[in-house]
Amino acid sequence: MARILLADDSETILLLLRTRLEMEGHEVETAIDGQEVVDKVAASGPPDVLLLDAMMPRKSGIDALRELREQSVESPALIVSAHTEGGNGAEHDGLAIDGYISKPIDFDALFAKIAGLTQR
Amino acid sequence: MAVIGVARFLQQRQDFENATARSYQREIQARNRLAEGRAPAAARATIVAQQRSRQVLRNEISSETRDTALLVGAGLIAGLTGAALLFTGLISSMRRPLEDLVDASGRLAGGDLEARVAVGGLAETATLGSAFNEMAEELQRRAGERDQLERMKDEFVLTASHELRSPLTSVQGFAELLLLERERLSPKQAETAEVILDNTRHLVRLLNDLLDLARSDAGRLTIRPEPTAAGALIEEAVRTMRAQIDARGQSLALEIEPGLPQVEADRDRIRQVLVNLLTNANEYCPQGANIGVQARHADAEVEIDVTDDGPGIPEQQLEHIFERFTRGDAGETQRVGGTGLGLAISKSLIELHGGRIEAESTPGEGSSFRVRIPAAAPEPAEVS
Repeated sequence: MARILLADDSETILLLLRTRLEMEGHEVETAIDGQEVVDKVAASGPPDVLLLDAMMPRKSGIDALRELREQSVESPALIVSAHTEGGNGAEHDGLAIDGYISKPIDFDALFAKIAGLTQR
Repeated sequence: MAVIGVARFLQQRQDFENATARSYQREIQARNRLAEGRAPAAARATIVAQQRSRQVLRNEISSETRDTALLVGAGLIAGLTGAALLFTGLISSMRRPLEDLVDASGRLAGGDLEARVAVGGLAETATLGSAFNEMAEELQRRAGERDQLERMKDEFVLTASHELRSPLTSVQGFAELLLLERERLSPKQAETAEVILDNTRHLVRLLNDLLDLARSDAGRLTIRPEPTAAGALIEEAVRTMRAQIDARGQSLALEIEPGLPQVEADRDRIRQVLVNLLTNANEYCPQGANIGVQARHADAEVEIDVTDDGPGIPEQQLEHIFERFTRGDAGETQRVGGTGLGLAISKSLIELHGGRIEAESTPGEGSSFRVRIPAAAPEPAEVS
């Protein structure tokens, strides 16, 4: 199963995602904003999958990912967004985003995406 | 000028009459003297002189008459020309401002709120012009206020639906989590969790509809079309709805013409439209109704019909069926729920695809919704 670094500014969403992901057998580390994502990657190395909320205070998921990509962290990344449209890939050119997850989360689709990313 | 000429002519005519009368008087006196035999030579000379003098007077007056007639004629022509010139001047001094007003009114009516006229010319047209400008000013001010309110409303809806999405994600997620361990819940607890989940999903649908509508109003409803297999897309939408249709004991017949071309479509959005049409059929039709989906290739389009043999739609409602907040009658909508936004959004989405959506219905017999989407330009044959 995969090592997943999960970031969202809502403790409740973190609890929900962590619970569901752990039930699927994944190993989950959490961060409350983009800065913590960058710090945790620096401390414990790149995860198998980054699951980042697009909008977080202090540092957004997009900004954190940009910083990680500059540090040559190549972990596949899924961006969670409150927008139904998920965001346009063209907006974040060069960030190597592997998919968008919209809220409310369709967990079956999320698990399928994670499986697809970790079995490559 | 002509008047002076005529007056002078009348005066001369009078003088001529007087002079002629005097001349005849002198001649008669001379003839009397001749008859009495007094100084006959002088009398004869006087008679001849008077006759000559009258002849001269007659010649003079006839030339005067001619001159006067000419003068009067010339005067008349000059007067008419002057009047015509005056009239033309008056007309043209009114016509320019009036033409400007007509032009500006047209532009204003066409939505150009900057349309103004130059104020000038006659007092009346100037007043009209400034009244027009004041009116246009007021219209522009109100339109500005309205636009700002609209923007604030759109912004509010976008922000509110965004902010509501996180808590809804949690509620839906935890209700799902509870139901994952259904076997450890009592039947009452499981039912409660189901109710929470159903209502959360309904809230999410409402939120998505509101969001789409706000986007549509703000001109920010966009699609990302790509060549898509129409048949697979329709099957996907039908699969999503299958459980709900089965739950009401309704049948769902799917007929897809083989070899349907690809369509240039945003998968999520076309699926949303088809699911919306199927949801309406499912919810407005009674238990056991027959629902059908037929897809065929027609001209350069793919035609998708969603039909049912439910209660149908009354004519006066059918006319407004694609307008927002149009819903079935009160009793029905109470049971069905929904926002009255689904078909309005579906129409916007289909039109964004360059397609059309139409509804037909016979009350008591059923309804039929037809979606037409342009087929994608045929790709050069690919080896797959």
